Amino acid sequence: MSSGADVANALQAQLDGWLRQRLPSARATTLNQRKIFIVPSKTALGLVGVIALLFLLGINFQNSLVYIISFWLLALLLLNIFYTWRNLAGLTLTAMGVEPCFAGEKAVLEVALSRPVKQTKYALELAWKGEDQVQVDLISAQTLRVKLSHSTEGRGYFKPPRLQVSTRYPTGLAVAWSYVYLDVQGLVYPNPVEKAFQPIGQSHGGTTDDGLEIAGGTSDFSGVRDYQHGDGPKRIHWAKFAQTGKLYTKTFVDYASHDLWLDWDELPMPGIEVRLSHLCRKVLDFHQEQRQYGLKLPGKVIAPGKGEAHKARCLQALALFGVVSE
Amino acid sequence: MIWLLAAQLVVMLPFLFDLPLWLLPVLVVVAWWRLRVLAGAASQPGNVVKLLLIGLGVGGLLLSGLRFPSLDAMATLLLLGFAFKSLEVVQRRDAIVVIFIGYFLVALHFLYTQSLTAALYGMVSMVVLTGVLVGVQQAITEFSTGQSVRFNLRLAVFMLLQCLPLMMVIFVFAPRIAPLWSIPLASGQTQTGMTDRMAPGDIEKLGKSDELAFRVTFKGKRPAQHELYWQGLVLNHFDGHEWRQFDRDYDVYQLKTALMSHYRWQPERMQVQGNPVAYEAVYETSGQPWLFTLSPAVEVEGDVLRGADYRVMAQEALQAPFLLKAVSYPATQRDVVLPEYLRTLALGLPSTGDQRSRELAQRLRREAGSEQVYIDKVLARFHDLAFEYTLNPPTLGDKDTIDGFLFDSKRGFCAHYAGSFVFLMRAAGIPARVVVGYQGGEWNAAGQYLAVHQYDAHAWTEVWLAGRGWVRVDPTTAVAPSRVEQGLEAAVQAEGSFLADSVLSARKMPWLNGVRQQFDAVQYGWRRWVLGYDREEQAALLKSALGDLSVGKVALFAGGLFAAIGLFWLLALGMAQRRQPEAPEHRLYRRFCEALAKRGARREPGDAPGAFAHQAAEHLPALAEVIREFTQVYEGICYAPPADGRVATRRLKTLLGKIR
Repeated sequence: MSSGADVANALQAQLDGWLRQRLPSARATTLNQRKIFIVPSKTALGLVGVIALLFLLGINFQNSLVYIISFWLLALLLLNIFYTWRNLAGLTLTAMGVEPCFAGEKAVLEVALSRPVKQTKYALELAWKGEDQVQVDLISAQTLRVKLSHSTEGRGYFKPPRLQVSTRYPTGLAVAWSYVYLDVQGLVYPNPVEKAFQPIGQSHGGTTDDGLEIAGGTSDFSGVRDYQHGDGPKRIHWAKFAQTGKLYTKTFVDYASHDLWLDWDELPMPGIEVRLSHLCRKVLDFHQEQRQYGLKLPGKVIAPGKGEAHKARCLQALALFGVVSE
Repeated sequence: MIWLLAAQLVVMLPFLFDLPLWLLPVLVVVAWWRLRVLAGAASQPGNVVKLLLIGLGVGGLLLSGLRFPSLDAMATLLLLGFAFKSLEVVQRRDAIVVIFIGYFLVALHFLYTQSLTAALYGMVSMVVLTGVLVGVQQAITEFSTGQSVRFNLRLAVFMLLQCLPLMMVIFVFAPRIAPLWSIPLASGQTQTGMTDRMAPGDIEKLGKSDELAFRVTFKGKRPAQHELYWQGLVLNHFDGHEWRQFDRDYDVYQLKTALMSHYRWQPERMQVQGNPVAYEAVYETSGQPWLFTLSPAVEVEGDVLRGADYRVMAQEALQAPFLLKAVSYPATQRDVVLPEYLRTLALGLPSTGDQRSRELAQRLRREAGSEQVYIDKVLARFHDLAFEYTLNPPTLGDKDTIDGFLFDSKRGFCAHYAGSFVFLMRAAGIPARVVVGYQGGEWNAAGQYLAVHQYDAHAWTEVWLAGRGWVRVDPTTAVAPSRVEQGLEAAVQAEGSFLADSVLSARKMPWLNGVRQQFDAVQYGWRRWVLGYDREEQAALLKSALGDLSVGKVALFAGGLFAAIGLFWLLALGMAQRRQPEAPEHRLYRRFCEALAKRGARREPGDAPGAFAHQAAEHLPALAEVIREFTQVYEGICYAPPADGRVATRRLKTLLGKIR
């Protein structure tokens, strides 16, 4: 629409590209000369004003000591740039991981900051603009872990945007900063609906089809029951039929009847995200109730189970449903 | 923020000696209020209080009679603002403004005094301000308040010291520009040293002070002590009590006008003879324009005025130490042909008074065959009649002071002898005049210069003789030759009056003399090389260092120095190494990965240590246990740093050895 905005966007893209090239993403990054940018701060402009005034005063009164104060402050201004730069140089950031979260919640990135042995670092600021920021000192500790949160939108992978590391230490007359692209990602689960659709998950194993076998349930054969109309031929206990002449169906039912299945196909509502949200809620509920449950998604079935690991597996499947993994 | 207040007090303290006294209570009240705010006992003052305070300040400023615009007014105003600002320091921004004004005030104080002590104090103020600036910018939670103050101050000291080389280079190379406009410096600074009038008793007061008047460095041979007559002013007019320059008081502008018109310097009236004496003198701040030279100063460098009496005078009263370079030819004949105007001045006497002296003069003149014999007779009379040289002469009243001295008291200081001698000359028709200045000085062997103090103040005379011009005659030598040979201390030794009032003077303690002279030598070096570094000095220094002064050469030289300082900074800050020293556990982990890679277990950049350990253990079952333990210890150090990391690091080394 407006070509100005286009140009700005193009420039921004170019800048991002350049930054990315200059600051390649990695799990751990050590800040060095190439990666640190430094400029005088607004405070420095104020001091430059003072220096200029003092220089005028020195000229006007031909006063050597006034000159000296003026030049001393100028030297301080310049030296300070080295100090600020050093305070950032050699800092290593290591991504420790991103804790999974639900869409719309804050994803929390954990970063370990470590300093070179012989340097202490002060007033380091880590920030995602408009999201979160944290200030740390590395004095007695060699390494510190800090957590930063960032809002999420949709489910899937959360890839932290570039993280700004900056410092104004010691005098605030210069700002040194660097952008860090951390090669780490975290899962964002679908946003669970508040109240799940009731009938879902109540379905019994009796309605199972071949899909159950795929799930590896065949080895867990536990008994037989009377044949009912509609039982699949594969389920018929032919051996027993041979013995008794009566049709029996092999049951996984005793076992499966306590299991709850969260089945994508049984959800009455349309829309992928809505369905995922419902499933997510159910997973959480079942986990809460310490029940045994399985999950069926198009192309993915998770056998019934319980416990934290199982919940995580289910939620991951929901989070990554339809997401091309990298 | 309490440290900000402390820094403010440090900055304001030295001003209290120079600025109106009412500032003190104002500053104390402001500081007290600020303390109460910090203690949580009071709130920030409201707008009404602030306005009231500003009104009080401005009112005080107007009432204290400071001239506008003047330095005092500017400093007072700034100081008030500086103090009041502390009442509304709420944010970091306000604090920074206060600190910047503080820097400005530190420099401003040097317009009042540039002494070495003031400079050292200024350095302390700079450290405190810079330390507080660091403290204001960030709070380090790990430190207690005391710790962070010590830490910040130490950092400030380090930074400011590291700045010194660059500061010096800029100081040496920065172009010196002539003043752009003129602001009257101080309003009503005290005057010290020699004044432009001499009544009996005036010079004795100076004789009792051991303050420094000026210092002199000679280029080449130093004249003998008894030749060191530092001429300041010539006093022509006598009103029966007091000697003055002219028949009425001239202010500085009238005096300047006179020195540029009828009383102007006319070099053609002297015949330069004899050996030159070249010297540089640095005059202390005296609040007066008088400069003191060996008469006549034939060549003079600098912006000065000169007069028909061969004086050299500054354009303005000295508000800062003043450097003068001069070459004098003491043997020069001056005014062999005496202009009528000067002759009249040199013969003037009050119409009445001191009759006995007038008669004595006429009688002696009749008896003497020539003017020279007459002079000798008068001098011999001082000697023969046992006149006494004393720092504590009796007072002579207001009338007939010459008679009172010559016939009654016969006790006097140099002013008495010079005044009465000139009176006797004039009464006998010989042109004569009083010269005031300093005689002698203390040689500082450590610094190779001459220090002239107030107690070296002296008065002598010049007599005009036909064919010879002005001839110096010092009647004091007739009574106390040691005054000129060895100085005042020796001359009044018997009396014990030398610096009798200053009991604590270091001069009274001979064992301190060496230290005192060394210290004085340092101060003189300070005066000459730091304070006296101006455009001419800069040109001279660069010329001696570089040969010629082409812009390219100077720029190259300065650039080289800047580069050297940059390198020095990089080295000093430990930033010159290519690789930053790694933490030992990271280094060991890197080696661990390298060792495993050689055995075929390669870690991808993105692999977390735990995941990699798992893979590597699968790949190298024999080492599985070692790998697992190494990883565990490493992660332990990284994520839950133990108090003493060395034990863990040692364990890592042992394990690494097993893999290799």
